[in-house]
Amino acid sequence: MAAISSLFLFFILFLVSLLIILAFIVRPRSVKIPIKSRHVFITGGSSGIGLALAHSAVSEGAKVSILARSTENLAEAKRSIQLATGVEVATFSADVRDYDAVSKAVDESGPIDVLIVNQGVFIGKELEKQSPEEVKFMIDVNLVGSFNVIKAALPAMKAREGRGPASISLVSSQAGQAGIYGYTAYSASKFGLQGLAQALQQEVISDDIHVTLLFPPDTDTPGFEEELKKRPELTSIIAASSGSMKTNEVAKICFDGIKAGKFTVTCHFIGFLLSIASTGMSPQGSFWLALIEVMFGGLIRLVSLVFQWQWYKTIEKWSKKKKQVNSKLD
Amino acid sequence: MAAISPFFLLFLIPIVPLSILAILALIVRPRPIKIPIKSRHVFITGGSSGIGLALAHRAAAEGARVSILARSAGKLEEAKKEIQLATGVEVATFSADVRDYDAVSKAIDESGPIDVLIVNQGVFTAKELVTHSPEDVKFTIDVNLVGSFNVIKAALPAMKARKDRGPASISLVSSQAGQVGVYGYAAYSASKFGLQGLAQALQQEVIADDIHVTLIFPPDTNTPGFEEEQKSRPDVTAIIAASSGSMETEEVARKAMDGIKAGKFTVSCNFEGFLLSLATTGMSPQRSFWLAFLEVITAGPIRLIALFFQWDWYKAIEKWSKTKTK
Repeated sequence: MAAISSLFLFFILFLVSLLIILAFIVRPRSVKIPIKSRHVFITGGSSGIGLALAHSAVSEGAKVSILARSTENLAEAKRSIQLATGVEVATFSADVRDYDAVSKAVDESGPIDVLIVNQGVFIGKELEKQSPEEVKFMIDVNLVGSFNVIKAALPAMKAREGRGPASISLVSSQAGQAGIYGYTAYSASKFGLQGLAQALQQEVISDDIHVTLLFPPDTDTPGFEEELKKRPELTSIIAASSGSMKTNEVAKICFDGIKAGKFTVTCHFIGFLLSIASTGMSPQGSFWLALIEVMFGGLIRLVSLVFQWQWYKTIEKWSKKKKQVNSKLD
Repeated sequence: MAAISPFFLLFLIPIVPLSILAILALIVRPRPIKIPIKSRHVFITGGSSGIGLALAHRAAAEGARVSILARSAGKLEEAKKEIQLATGVEVATFSADVRDYDAVSKAIDESGPIDVLIVNQGVFTAKELVTHSPEDVKFTIDVNLVGSFNVIKAALPAMKARKDRGPASISLVSSQAGQVGVYGYAAYSASKFGLQGLAQALQQEVIADDIHVTLIFPPDTNTPGFEEEQKSRPDVTAIIAASSGSMETEEVARKAMDGIKAGKFTVSCNFEGFLLSLATTGMSPQRSFWLAFLEVITAGPIRLIALFFQWDWYKAIEKWSKTKTK
C-alpha cells in the first residue's frame, strides 16, 4: 500500500516538475491575435473554407480582402457576404502562381495584419495515372503560390508600426500530416507548407508575426464534392479513418485557432491525435499541450502504427482482389 | 497480502514493454525486406557530383549496373572517368534537366528497367524569405520536388512491369532540413518536407508491386554544393545547423546505401540525425519492430529534448535580432 501511494506521489511530483520546466521553455510564446478593425486578407476566399473564413472575419469587425482567380466567383462571394453581414469586402483577382499579379493585389489592398493563405487545388489519383501537368499544378498552386503570397505581403507586414501582433496562417490538410494512397502530389504540396511554416516562424518572430498551420479533415466544400467523384476507392477508405466536417464548423475552429496564435490548429479529436502523432519539430506555444505531447507521444505513436497496419492490410486485400479480377479478364 | 504486492509489481514491470514489443512484431507494416544491389540496375539522379556521385561509386563497387543522370554533359563525363578509374566499372550517363518530364522520360527509357532508383538531385540556397527571389524559390521547389515526381513517374511503369527481378527500391535523398524547418531554409525545407508526403503516399501505392520507398536524411555534407551555399548562408542558419554538425560525402553515401539495402523507410546518417528521425517520425511507416518499440518508448522524452532545442534556437534568434536592431 505504502509502495503504491509513494509511487503515486512521485508520479505527481514528476508531472508538476515537468509542467514547470515546459512552462519555462516553450517557445515562441503564444500571442493573442486581435481581429476587430484589423486587415484580414484571404486567398482562395471566394469559396469553400476561404469564403467561410471571410464571413467569420467580417462578423468579428475586420476589414476583409479576398483574392481568387475568377472575378465572377469573387463578385458572388462579395454579394453573399454583403447580404449576410451588410459589410463590403474588397476583392482582388489574381492567380497565386503569378508573383507580380499577387504582389500588385497585395499592395493595392494595403498593409495586412492577418494573412490567411488558403488557396488550394486537389486531385486524388495514383501517381502512375496522374499527369506530370496535374502534379505540377498542385505543387505550383498549393506550395509555390503560398510562397508568392507570403513574399508579397511580408515587407508591408514587417513595416507596420505599433499595429500589434500580425498573423500568417496557412491552410494545410490532414493529408499534410500523413501521406495517403492517391495523394502523392497533394500531400507533397501540403507537407511542404510545414517546412515553410517552421522556417518562416523562426524568420519573422522578431517582427511580431505569428505563423499558424491549419489542418482540416475532408470538408464538404464544392471543391471536395468534385474530388469525391473521381478519387480512388482506396483513398476514400483510408480517409474515412478521419471522417468529414462541415465548412462552417471548420472555419469557426480555424478562426479561433488563428486568434489564439497557435502554431498548429486541428478541427476534431482525430485531427488532434494526428497532430500529436505528427508534431515532429513544430514549435509548441502552450505548455499544457507540450505536456500532452510529451506524456502521450509514445502511446500515440503506437496508435498510429495500428492505423498503418490497418491501412496496409486494406491495401493488400484490395490489390489481391484487383489482381484476381484482372487475371479473370485475361 | 502486503508481502505479495512488491513481487507482483516487479513481475509486472517487464510485462508491459514485452507486450508492446509483441504487439509491434505482429503489426508493423510494411514488412521488412532486403534490397539486393549486385547485378541490378541502379539509376541515380544528380549523380555527377556530391552525394550522388559517391552513391554511384558505391553501387559500382558492389557490382551494380549504374546509370547517372545530371544536367551537365561535361560533369557527367568527368564522373564517368572518375568511377572507371576507381572501380573499373563503366557507368551509363544521361543528360537531362529533371524539370523536363519528356527529357527525363526519354533518358529513363533508354537506360532500361530500373531496380534501384535513387532520386538525389537537389539545389539549395539559404536565404531569409524576404530576400529570396520568387524565381529562386520556384527553382528550388521545381528541381527538388516537382523534379522528383518527374523522375519517379517516368521510372514507375517499367519498374512495375519487371517480372521476377526481385524487390525494387525508390530512394529519395531528403535532408535534415526536411525534418525540421530552419531559419533561412523556407524554400529548401518546403521542398524537402514535400518529399516526406510523396514518400508516405507513394509507399502505399507501390507496395503491392514489391517496390520499397526509402527516405534518406543527410546532415550538412561536405559537397561542392555545400561549399557554395556556406559562403552566403545567414548567420542564424549556421548557428542552428551547428546543432547537428557536418559529415563527409563518402560517409553519408555509405550510410545511405546500407539503409537502401536494408529496405528501411527512414535512413539517418549520424546520431543527432537518428534522434531527429525519432522526433519527426510522424506518420512514417516503420518496418522494424525493434525501431518501432524504440519510437514508442522514446517519443515522449525526445519531444521534450526537441522542445529544449526550440528554446535554444528561439533564444539565439532573439539575441541575434537584438544585436541587429542596435
